[in-house]
Amino acid sequence: MELALIFDLILLITLIALAWLLLASSDIFRAVVLFIAFGLLLALAWVRLGAPDVALAEAAIGAGITGALLLVGLGRLGSAEHYRGTRTRLTFLQRLSAPVLIGVMIPSISLILLLELSLHASATPGQQGLVNVLLDVSGTNHGVTAVLMNFRAWDTLLEKGVLLLALISIWSLDQARPLFRQNDISPQLTGLARLLLPIMIIVAGFVLWQGDHAPGGAFQSGAILSAGILLAILVGYTLPTRRQGLSLRLLLAVGFSVFLLVAAATLLSSDYLLKYPDSLAGSLILLLELVATASIAALLAAAVVGGHPPDDLSKPVDRSSAVNGGQT
Amino acid sequence: MTELIVQQQWFLWMTLLPLGAAVAAFLAPRQAHWIGLVTALLLPLCALAAIAAATLSETQTITAGNWPTPLGIALRSDGLALVMLAVTALVGFIISCYALGYFPVRGHHQSRARYFWPLWLFLWGGCNALFISGDLFNLYVTLELVTLASVALIALEGGKAALAAALRYLFISLLGSLAYLLGVGILYGTYATVDIILLGDMLAATRLNHAAMSLMIAGLVLKSALFPLHFWLPQAHTMAPAPVSAVLSALVVKCAYVILLRLWFEVFPALDTIAIGHLLGLLGSIAIIWGSLMALRQERLKLLIAYSTVAQIGYLFLVFPLAHTETMASAWIGGVLLMMAHACGKAAMFMVAGTIHHTAGSDRISRLAGAGGPIGVLVVVFTLAAGTIIGLPPSGGFFAKWLFINAALVSGQWWYLPIILSGTLLAAAYIARVLGWAFLDVKRSSYPVIPWMMKWPPLVLSIIALLFGLIAYEPVQLALSGAPVSSPVLVEFGP
Repeated sequence: MELALIFDLILLITLIALAWLLLASSDIFRAVVLFIAFGLLLALAWVRLGAPDVALAEAAIGAGITGALLLVGLGRLGSAEHYRGTRTRLTFLQRLSAPVLIGVMIPSISLILLLELSLHASATPGQQGLVNVLLDVSGTNHGVTAVLMNFRAWDTLLEKGVLLLALISIWSLDQARPLFRQNDISPQLTGLARLLLPIMIIVAGFVLWQGDHAPGGAFQSGAILSAGILLAILVGYTLPTRRQGLSLRLLLAVGFSVFLLVAAATLLSSDYLLKYPDSLAGSLILLLELVATASIAALLAAAVVGGHPPDDLSKPVDRSSAVNGGQT
Repeated sequence: MTELIVQQQWFLWMTLLPLGAAVAAFLAPRQAHWIGLVTALLLPLCALAAIAAATLSETQTITAGNWPTPLGIALRSDGLALVMLAVTALVGFIISCYALGYFPVRGHHQSRARYFWPLWLFLWGGCNALFISGDLFNLYVTLELVTLASVALIALEGGKAALAAALRYLFISLLGSLAYLLGVGILYGTYATVDIILLGDMLAATRLNHAAMSLMIAGLVLKSALFPLHFWLPQAHTMAPAPVSAVLSALVVKCAYVILLRLWFEVFPALDTIAIGHLLGLLGSIAIIWGSLMALRQERLKLLIAYSTVAQIGYLFLVFPLAHTETMASAWIGGVLLMMAHACGKAAMFMVAGTIHHTAGSDRISRLAGAGGPIGVLVVVFTLAAGTIIGLPPSGGFFAKWLFINAALVSGQWWYLPIILSGTLLAAAYIARVLGWAFLDVKRSSYPVIPWMMKWPPLVLSIIALLFGLIAYEPVQLALSGAPVSSPVLVEFGP
């Protein structure tokens, strides 16, 4: 017991120190690397709190994908950083707002909450009991999956929508630019990718399957798959141009659309939104998880690539070439 | 067959339909505008059906998947949800028609049109999901949906200034959402539920609950741009394309406010809210005066309208100090009425400003000088829409202010009277300033051609806004069904 306490204390102190270091760092690259380390340690903290599902998501999405997004963003910024433009002088209130917010508001809110929370030391067990009672009819054997995919499936549906919406927002801003020059790829990386890619696909499949009875599921599995896709992009794989149109958009949207279709079908047949028929619940959840994994992997990877694929709308449609393309 | 139609949960279809249409518009960008138009046509019909179904059935709350409430997500078709769904359907339909003219299908700005429709339909679906939600965490998810779509829509105009405004809006919104979520987390930690009705029954006046309430209200106040947290609004609302400005001012700001109404009257009545109510009332009063004065100073039409929104938001926050025991229904229904009237009026005004910008090449108010010919129609539309912002009878704005004044007198808070009246005078002043330019006798060299889609939809909306007070009885009755307030609505002065 004592040993665990010491471990927790070290973890906490490291977390706070990392947070401070990354906020105080004037070098953005250093701050991003520290942020990734912070995410991984935070995942460990979630494990210590007994929430392995959150830990998996934090490691895969909080540290992994967010870290990759930040690094890619930094790479884009790097060349443009010295075009800062003229800085306008801040007014007195603008000068004051940041210290007040960071120095006064946040510590005082934290202090009040800490004082109050220490009085309510015994936390409620949440709805664990109710979830366990209803687990038999949920179509899955893992409480978290049951909550996400059945009891509170409406939230999950809307979250899938948020993910797709985020990608549409990224696409609306600009066209994608190549991440790097093709002749920069090192042969070692290619060899590593050949070795790693099959393993990543298998691990992603395992994590997805795991979701039925243990921590795992679509989000974590999709994040692993998208890491695989990014690795493949790094060693020079590209999506063929003819797949960058509707096929790509279909893949990105399939997770959300199937969820919407299931919602519409349940609403039509049973008058209740997302009330799965008892006999079909298991298979429906599996279907939703499968398409969600595919979409999440594609969405996260597309977000890192950034920007929409080269436009087919800007040029007038050349009907003859379209017909020829169809015939070949 | 009729049973099938009546028994459908139309208010749920109103969330699924726009979300599905958004995906379809993303998949088929060439047909996006048709998908948008068909959806915009269907949603008002669904709203009517939802209202008809609600008047026939007793149950106002169901849960997703029919799971019991501490676990499942409550979805509500009470009065507030229904009137907001209906107003959004009406305003959204007209904005969609206008957008058809604003974003030409052919021409240079195809890529803007290509992304406008999926983003706007996502926003619409998010708003509808927010209005019907009876679950604090689900409200957070819908709020994120609305926020993200708004940010992308602001950035759609392109250019450095629009991107900067969008990014600032994103940061501000995230700060607001996180404060709200922290409050929800504290409530869940204590009561193990995020259901609004259950929480309303269980909440006790502990200090921790007060902390949660303060966090949630602060976050939502930031998102609904109450003075002094309005600083992001004028830039964000003016940098966007005209239909987007209309959506942001008419609908998006109201989303956070609807959550506030639900929290204040359904979750937190057991807490000690008098001091916070007076603080919100004070900030609202300052917002009315400050926003109107700033509107009076602006040289550009869109900025004037945006500052007018700041002032109108101030009125909305007078609901909280005015809702005493006996005046609760008056204040509440006044707030709901003002939301509806402002949504119609402000959307029409922003659309007109967009058309003027489109035809005159600039939205400087001085460009209205000698506005005859095609711009003359627009000035008429602008004036009609402004009627409800000033609060002229028989507009909805007039009735809302009447109810506020009534509540202020009955609850003995006379000091809100001069605030409301001077806000009205200032609004009349800044509208008259715009009209003053239009009546100047200046000859123009050319009058541009305006596509009719950009001319007539705002007119329809402004007429509805102006005559809203005449048909206000039905919406008020509808909103009061299942409302969390039970006192009679006072329309005459008296004890």
